[in-house]
Amino acid sequence: MASAPLLEAVEVGYTYPGENPTQALEGLNLVVRDGEFLALLGPVGCGKTTLLRMFAGFLRPTRGTVRCAGSVVDGPGWQKGYVLQEESIFPWMTVRENLEFGLLAKGVDPEARKAASDELIRLIGLSAFQASWPKELSAGMSKMVEVARVLATDPAVLLLDEPFGALDAQTRARMQDALARLWEQRRKTVMFVTHDAEEAIYLADRIVVLSERPGKVKAELAVEIARPRSVETRFSAPFLALKRQIWEATRGGEP
Amino acid sequence: MVAVRVRRAVVALVALVLLYGIAAQALHGRLPDRIWMGSHYVDNIQLLPTWGSLAEEGVFLAESDILASSVLVSTRRVLAGLLLGSLVGIAIGLATGRARRFDAIADPWVTFFRFTPALALLPLYVVWFGYGELSKILLIASSVAVITLLGAHHGVRAVPRVYLDAAASLGASPRLAFRRVVLPYALPHIFASIRVATGLAWVTIVVAELIDAKMPSLGYLLALSGAYPRVPTMLIALATVGALVLAFDLIVLFVHARATRWMRRTS
Amino acid sequence: MRRAITQRSLLWLASLVALVGAYTVVASLAQRPDVLPTTPEILQTFAALVVRGQPAPMDGMGDMHHMHHHHPGRSSDQVDTLVQQGVTLQDALGVSTLRVLFGLVVGLPLGMAIGVLLGWSRRTDDYLHPIYVLVRSVPPLALITYIMLWLGHSEAHRLIPIVYAVATTAVIPTYHSVRDVSARYLVAARSLGARGSLLVTKVLLPAASPAVLGGLRYAVAIAWMTAVGAEMLMAENGMGNLLVGGGMWSSRTQTRSDPAVIIAGVITLAAAGWAMDAGTRLLRARLTRWVR
Repeated sequence: MASAPLLEAVEVGYTYPGENPTQALEGLNLVVRDGEFLALLGPVGCGKTTLLRMFAGFLRPTRGTVRCAGSVVDGPGWQKGYVLQEESIFPWMTVRENLEFGLLAKGVDPEARKAASDELIRLIGLSAFQASWPKELSAGMSKMVEVARVLATDPAVLLLDEPFGALDAQTRARMQDALARLWEQRRKTVMFVTHDAEEAIYLADRIVVLSERPGKVKAELAVEIARPRSVETRFSAPFLALKRQIWEATRGGEP
Repeated sequence: MVAVRVRRAVVALVALVLLYGIAAQALHGRLPDRIWMGSHYVDNIQLLPTWGSLAEEGVFLAESDILASSVLVSTRRVLAGLLLGSLVGIAIGLATGRARRFDAIADPWVTFFRFTPALALLPLYVVWFGYGELSKILLIASSVAVITLLGAHHGVRAVPRVYLDAAASLGASPRLAFRRVVLPYALPHIFASIRVATGLAWVTIVVAELIDAKMPSLGYLLALSGAYPRVPTMLIALATVGALVLAFDLIVLFVHARATRWMRRTS
Repeated sequence: MRRAITQRSLLWLASLVALVGAYTVVASLAQRPDVLPTTPEILQTFAALVVRGQPAPMDGMGDMHHMHHHHPGRSSDQVDTLVQQGVTLQDALGVSTLRVLFGLVVGLPLGMAIGVLLGWSRRTDDYLHPIYVLVRSVPPLALITYIMLWLGHSEAHRLIPIVYAVATTAVIPTYHSVRDVSARYLVAARSLGARGSLLVTKVLLPAASPAVLGGLRYAVAIAWMTAVGAEMLMAENGMGNLLVGGGMWSSRTQTRSDPAVIIAGVITLAAAGWAMDAGTRLLRARLTRWVR
């Protein structure tokens, strides 16, 4: 079932300017199809955040092109819902106000905004916290609000940059579940960056492994595990097989 | 990267110089040249003197030594006040930071000086010490003392308990711990307060000299050029004050950087 | 812990009482009322300045009667001049407070706007920051002499230095906030489709507000300093004017300075400053409830 490519990177290269220019990416080709959950896996510093920022419109490739929904990416916008690695929930707004922010920017009237935020609050299970300040939330809850926040504007793609990287193992597992449930409800096209192989396998339809700097595609694996996935999935044979494959893919190659 | 920033700064400054020159020339005949000073008016004033007239005036001021001696006098006063004020202020501030009892005793006095605008004390000092050097220097010293006192106080209080505990567990006496742990840690706070105090010292001296205008001083120069009025002198005097404030600020920053070279950069 | 606090409060009180007591003793011993007014004299001056004097009626010969027989409290050159003009302590304080508030209300947003402008992009920063540094190096009260040439003796001429002084306190905190702290909020907001004024009002300014509010106490102190200074130099009303003897600057030298008036004025200013500072702390606490 080949659907249209929604995100495309064609021969993309990126070099950081400055006194010692570093090449972050080189000759990278990547495609994410409509409705697909893609995990971008790679070691620290391999350029995955750079690639994501290019898709989000904050960086321009020094070589090659980056496309979203057919046209060249030309700056940020609500069509490309980007969730940063750092905490970016607005601390001066309540949870509800955070969720409604994108709709406010779109000029949606208050009743419609409230209806939308009601649904999102229910979806992420934070009804008890809807009027809370972000300082009252745990790190995991904050992140879920950030993800729900970009969902509110109904973007074409979701770009998530190691959202659960700063969380402890248990919270991370819980958040991965929450994200999986969320995604099953609203099938968006997702590009998810991580350095955790298990997380990639658990969440994605397809995994792209990047090499070390300068980053290029090292391997691509399809995750053919049925959804919905659960804790059991993490110990199943196909899961472990994929883990091994990834392990081998990342170990082999450049010395 | 630095080269780019320097280049842009230079471009901006050159642009400013040119723009001013153009504005001064263009508005030469257009701006009102009659100014009402109280009950009389003065004609033929250029509110935006051209670079030419500013240059002429600058030469005159330099040759007649007016500017130089004014600068010397005012700078001397500021330095004296800064030195006196910061010595007293830092000493007391360190003491109040260290000993809560002393803090409680000194607090009413400190609070009073803290919330009194420094300039408000000028008439009082004039009554007590007459017009002249002493009242001005004391005025600067009192406001500098309050600011550096607070800086030293907060610097001492801000030392993380971890360091104090570590020093104690290594067997350091309170005095040694104070000298080798607390003091160095409080240095950035102290320098930051010195920087603020320096700016305030200049504001204070200029106004004090404006009120008690006597030759030679920068305040007097401003007052005189305002009374005449003689605009080019006024602008040059203003620019000189600005340059001095900037110079002092940079010196404090430099000393701060040298003194805390060993500290980890947190930014 | 509580014993320590009450012990400290007692020390504080004792120190205050000791100060006032010592002054009273020294002043009454010194017998120099023109330099060290005694405590009762100071209190009487307060009384004199709080009651509004009637502007003296003109008699047939066009002379002004001196009012010192008709008002309570102390009498001196300076007190009489003030009372004659119908000036009271509370009037002067009110006027000064209004000037300070105006300076804060106009100056803080102005300073934040400049901070946003400077911090927005590296390019504008590189070009405009040097100019800003040069401009802010000139003390606002020094500028008052130049502004007077343009605007004459007007209220605007006095208020501009106050606004300017307050604005400069808000620029740097906002600048650092926009440049360093707020990058991630801006990225998130732009990925949600925000742009232009929404970005500034709903993201940049709130993100910068803790830093600016942190400096608010300092801004208030600066505002008072500048207001009093401007009034001492060039105003016919306000606390600064009262301190230098009432009346226009040009007539200042004709009134002999009364230290009791000055001390009374300084105490009033200190009290007002303390009150406003307490208010600022409250305001800051309320407005930054959301800060971690």
